[in-house]
Amino acid sequence: MLRLLSFAAFLATWWGAAFLAGDQKLPAPPVVLAAVMTEARSGALFFHLGVTLARVGLAFVLAMTLGAALGYLMGRVRLADRLGDPWLILLLHLPALVVIVLAYIWAGLTEVAAIAAIAINKLPTAVVTLREGTRTLDANLDEMAAVFAIPRWKAFRHVILPQLAPYIAAAARSGLSLVWKIVLVAELLGRPNGVGFEIGVAFQLFDIPLLLAYSLTFAALVLTIETALVQPIEARLSRWRRRAA
Amino acid sequence: MQLEVSITSKMYTNAAGNRQQALAGFNFVLSEGEVGVFVGPSGCGKSTMLRIVVGLDPDYEGRVSRPPGAKIGMVFQEPRLLPWRSVDENVRLVAPHADEKRLAMLFETLGLEDHRSHFPGELSLGLARRVAVARAFAVEPDFLILDEPLASLDDALAARLREQIATLVDSRTVTTLLVTHNVDDAVQLGDRLFFLSQRPSHVIAEVPIHTPRAQRGPDELKRIKAELSRLTLANL
Repeated sequence: MLRLLSFAAFLATWWGAAFLAGDQKLPAPPVVLAAVMTEARSGALFFHLGVTLARVGLAFVLAMTLGAALGYLMGRVRLADRLGDPWLILLLHLPALVVIVLAYIWAGLTEVAAIAAIAINKLPTAVVTLREGTRTLDANLDEMAAVFAIPRWKAFRHVILPQLAPYIAAAARSGLSLVWKIVLVAELLGRPNGVGFEIGVAFQLFDIPLLLAYSLTFAALVLTIETALVQPIEARLSRWRRRAA
Repeated sequence: MQLEVSITSKMYTNAAGNRQQALAGFNFVLSEGEVGVFVGPSGCGKSTMLRIVVGLDPDYEGRVSRPPGAKIGMVFQEPRLLPWRSVDENVRLVAPHADEKRLAMLFETLGLEDHRSHFPGELSLGLARRVAVARAFAVEPDFLILDEPLASLDDALAARLREQIATLVDSRTVTTLLVTHNVDDAVQLGDRLFFLSQRPSHVIAEVPIHTPRAQRGPDELKRIKAELSRLTLANL
């Protein structure tokens, strides 16, 4: 209910602003909706959204898996931490644009380059979060697992992983929002399809309704995935915690 | 299974960076099925000794002869349960092959049958301790290690858990090490009492108790305690 109210307020503000700024700069909601419908009818909207979503999914999974493994290693093994730290700091502060441009130069304007570039942008934050998480692991529980001779894999699953879950969730959350942002830039610069490409086209033609049509459907998609996927998983993982008041 | 421990020396570095000796010439032997109780002033290195015996601390001089592959059940000073697993799952995790009937009996003996689906965060300390005891027994251990399992429980609760532990220890052959600073625990649970010195710790006296646990009524306990104080040990 509150969410609906909030959405209505957003629409009203948009409409008001459109009225003040004029259709040239900010088209009113019905105009944008018409653009969405045209794109949807031709199938282009779903095609571009789908392509972008696939890139997001691939890059996200790649970065999370690699980032979690590296972060865990660096949190557990001192040598790995000291070797990896300079690289981590470098990657952490490297602008996304540099990574994307270099990836396209070195690997060509290919799908692999795009996905790798997006994943590399997300990787360091995942590593840092998981390393912090690994450092907070409870040594007492490790000892318990050792004394009771719980097999390694089982101990990892039942003792270690639940302790890392909040950190994995945090890395996934912040990582997903980062990937959403970067994927469009990567598409704009070097891919012939996807939401980022379409926004680039709309920008060149100064087609503001088209631009907003893609931006807003993309935002709606992000919101849907957040509420339908990310939040329920988080809630399930933390069900053993006492409810916060 | 028999346990032979002879720790010649255990050094440790405290937070200030000073090297200190925690254990020196700490020797004892426990026969199969015996309950050895270690009584000593707090901070004398009892937990250090236990960590060495169970193999958590390899950094010591001496020898611990513990048959390889022997199953260990341990109750730590803090319950050390997994907060994200229910009571039932906590116990089953260490004892995946335990059959349901035996587990049900174990939970019943410890008065935990209504709490199996609870998470540890929902339990009081006394209940969490009992879950830790249940977990240690669920593995059907060859060695049972109890590190002050009754500390910081109120008297009534401690007495009840003490009886429950006595019942469980007598229900099967298990070589048990119990650490405590409470002489009541010692005389009620032990077959063999070891009195420990201040740091660097070692065994200063070994007192066997021959009366079976089940036959130790209040009078008998009083008699054993009187005997101990004749040895001027009970005032430790």
